[in-house]
Amino acid sequence: MRILIVEDDALVADGMRRGLSQAGFAVDHVASAERAEAALQHENFDLLLVDVGLPGVDGFDLVRRLRRSGKGMPVLIVTARDALADRVVALDLGADDYLVKPFALPELAARCRALIRRSKSASGSGMDIGPLHLDISRRETRVSARIVDLTRREWAVLECLALHAGQVVSKDRLQQAISTWEDGLTTNAVEVYISRLRGKLGDEVPIRTVRGLGYRLDEAIA
Amino acid sequence: MNARDSWTIRRRLLLTLIGPLLLLLGAGVALDYAAGIAPLQAAFDQALINEVLATAAQLRTQRGGIEFELTPQAMEMLRADKYDAIYYLVLGPHHEYISGDEGLPNAPSGPDNPALVDAQFRNNAIRSASFRHQTAAGEVTITIAETTHKRDEARHRMLVSIVVTDTLQFGAILLMIWLGVRLGLRPLIALRAQIDARSAHELAPLDETHVPGEVRPLTRALNRLFATVRSNAHAQQQFLANAAHQLRTPLAGLQTQLEVLRRDAEAASVRDRIDGLLDGTRRLSHTANQLLALARVEPTANATAEFGDVDLRDIAEQAVAAHFEQALQRRIDLGVEAQPATTRGSAWLLREMLANLVDNALTYAHADGHVTVRCGMNSDGVPRAYVEVEDDGPGIPEEQRAHVIERFYRLPGTSGDGCGLGLAIVDEIVRSHHAHLTISEGAHRRGTNVRVTFSAAAQVA
Repeated sequence: MRILIVEDDALVADGMRRGLSQAGFAVDHVASAERAEAALQHENFDLLLVDVGLPGVDGFDLVRRLRRSGKGMPVLIVTARDALADRVVALDLGADDYLVKPFALPELAARCRALIRRSKSASGSGMDIGPLHLDISRRETRVSARIVDLTRREWAVLECLALHAGQVVSKDRLQQAISTWEDGLTTNAVEVYISRLRGKLGDEVPIRTVRGLGYRLDEAIA
Repeated sequence: MNARDSWTIRRRLLLTLIGPLLLLLGAGVALDYAAGIAPLQAAFDQALINEVLATAAQLRTQRGGIEFELTPQAMEMLRADKYDAIYYLVLGPHHEYISGDEGLPNAPSGPDNPALVDAQFRNNAIRSASFRHQTAAGEVTITIAETTHKRDEARHRMLVSIVVTDTLQFGAILLMIWLGVRLGLRPLIALRAQIDARSAHELAPLDETHVPGEVRPLTRALNRLFATVRSNAHAQQQFLANAAHQLRTPLAGLQTQLEVLRRDAEAASVRDRIDGLLDGTRRLSHTANQLLALARVEPTANATAEFGDVDLRDIAEQAVAAHFEQALQRRIDLGVEAQPATTRGSAWLLREMLANLVDNALTYAHADGHVTVRCGMNSDGVPRAYVEVEDDGPGIPEEQRAHVIERFYRLPGTSGDGCGLGLAIVDEIVRSHHAHLTISEGAHRRGTNVRVTFSAAAQVA
């Protein structure tokens, strides 16, 4: 999976490049928005990491230009600016996520994996979360080499958790994911499906309960 | 400051006007009375004079003596008075009694003829008219007197009518003044309403179109002040954004490089030293973040924060979701018990507040402990929204509770990453929301419960 880092601070860019390489990504780095656009003309990347405070064209403008020219690859804004207004602007412009410096490398790697996973699932490819593999187009679930048979509702719950792996998903949201087939399902129904999923997937795929809120499928931290 | 200095303009106007007006009322009554009483008195006196002259016409003189005989009709005419008793007395040239009511005082002889005098007769106040009549037998003095009931009654009625009409006038004037003051102060009251209706953070200039000329310098000064505060807040936010960038970028570089280095390091002893460096870098990052957060939540930088309806349940759930990984690493059970609760506030400030409360609870709770975020409506009295974070950790001794909101204050004997700014940030945000912070024990007298109760005024209808 190829990542392009657009960052003008050499120390940060080098740290990110090395860290993400260690996590198994193929990483390229440019120091300005203009160079990023040039690189994107010739090559394809699965994910863009964009700093906001760039010399010349800033990160927000870069995202705006990319989206206007029809490029849909996921964009993660990595910036020192943490004002709410900046976040709102970034997401409005079409960025997919927002990470404030300084960050821990595992957190950065997890966000990158989540964004790539989401864009792949949207294009019908598979999703891998640790030993768990979801084949979106064939609706097939595997844990390590073992094929797991899931009902449609179990699949819907797992797909929703997998799409947001590493994040807490509320019961309400999971309920919405399964209520496409049957109206008036209570949140108790979600508990039933979670318990069946845990039974079928085994301990290798930890689905954690967040008391009073929902569930989280652990994102394997490399 | 003199207590009078703080009187309202309405009170000043009414109080300064009412004194002179009362004096004017008194003077008006006195003048009206004085002006009205003289012609009244003159009219009654003229009637008395007419009577004494008519009586004198009845007088007959005979040679050698004076005879005074009133015909019964004349007598009846003389005595005919519904209100007053009439007395008469006829005295001869040597003041000898000739006829009438003996002892009736007569007016002293003077230039006036007939002459009038006030006197007392048979325990009654009387007015008497004396006429010195020249006859062949010499000067005869005829005196007619009447009690003053009629006059008193007339005077009394006149006084009452003057007092009544003047008082009515006075009342009308007071009413007009009151209405005038009200009308005159209306633009000021409208201005006050305009200022009241603003949230504490709104710094837009006041609308001056309906402000009277006298008050305009005041609104202009206020608008200048608002503009200054606004631009200061803007400058401070700009400064904070620059400071954040300059602080965070090298910290991010340092932290990522150390993490990469740690993974590359082969010797355990080197890894331990890198871990130490990483720990220090993380603490530095945390403190930098907290300092920036504290600066940003201060009223001066925060003067333009937008207040709106905030769903506390969303905020509580977001805080729990955001800290779940941190809780997991410390093996703490983090959960939420959220009831519907909404208040007026700034969503990002409240998110910052709760993030600090949860972070604190996770930092100081025991491993395998519990941290619970709750929100809901207070059930006692007026419904007020609250949000609280409770842990079953070591708790805060009662005598320390007042100090923990102080900046950089840390409980004696605590370790960990805390820099002592979390509760100071919370306190600033609580204050900017006019909310109330309570620190108490958790359930079963263990741990800490930090509750933020919003004011009833912030209740979303």
